[in-house]
Amino acid sequence: MKALVVDDSMTIRRIVVKALSMAGIAEAREAEDGVQAVEAAKGDQFDVILLDWNMPKMSGIDTLRALRQAGNRTPVIMVTTEAEKARVIEAIKSGANDYLIKPFSPDQLAAKVKNLVGAPA
Amino acid sequence: MDVRYINPFVEGVGSVFHTMLGLEPKRCKIELGTGPGNGEALVTSLIGISGQHVQGVVVLRFPPATALELAGRMLGTKLAELNEEVVDAISEIVNMVAGSAKAKLQSDPPLELGLPTVVQGRDYRVRYPSKSVWIEVPFESQAGNFSMELTLETK
Repeated sequence: MKALVVDDSMTIRRIVVKALSMAGIAEAREAEDGVQAVEAAKGDQFDVILLDWNMPKMSGIDTLRALRQAGNRTPVIMVTTEAEKARVIEAIKSGANDYLIKPFSPDQLAAKVKNLVGAPA
Repeated sequence: MDVRYINPFVEGVGSVFHTMLGLEPKRCKIELGTGPGNGEALVTSLIGISGQHVQGVVVLRFPPATALELAGRMLGTKLAELNEEVVDAISEIVNMVAGSAKAKLQSDPPLELGLPTVVQGRDYRVRYPSKSVWIEVPFESQAGNFSMELTLETK
């Protein structure tokens, strides 16, 4: 299985990649913003996308909309500080499959990934 | 500044430090601040908060050794110098503290966060805007002492 990790923070990307390995996903590509993420998703197939909300160039919610409008149906988990109910609803309506609020533990993220895409064979 | 704004940020510090760093910081006596910058070399991270009714800035200030320890804990490694990894980790800490607090403030529509900024060094002062009242909240932790400074004004 392969994941796309999208966050402008290298620290968070590193923590997410570590959590993915706990979920059995050893292959992860990283993107620093939405523009890089959309490009990556055009040229590569992913099993899950972990997507931050507040990023330079293109926000996570705009990235999500761009992916869905382009017909990309890869499961997306928003991983973000945006914790308000209105934000969660906006993300789900825009096509997010799950939502994880920062701060989070690697165990929480691994559990969400396993729940969404299952453990790799 | 409305003192009811302070607690969500104090709780945000507690939540981020507990979940991401395995630390339980203790809040010390809250004081009126003068705004960040007092001559001591520090790693300072700040982020702007804005909404229909309020706007402000939250600032976290760490002695260099504390910043190194916190970044090392987040990244799961030992860090010896104030490099880009430390700056990134420290900026993400203030981002998460502000995010956690803004959810608790329950603004409708939700408050917006800027992108975090990190300043290293001494002899600087943050001015935002000139009439703002700054509240300083010192913390003690196993990784060293640090402080949060906050200004949040109703428009």
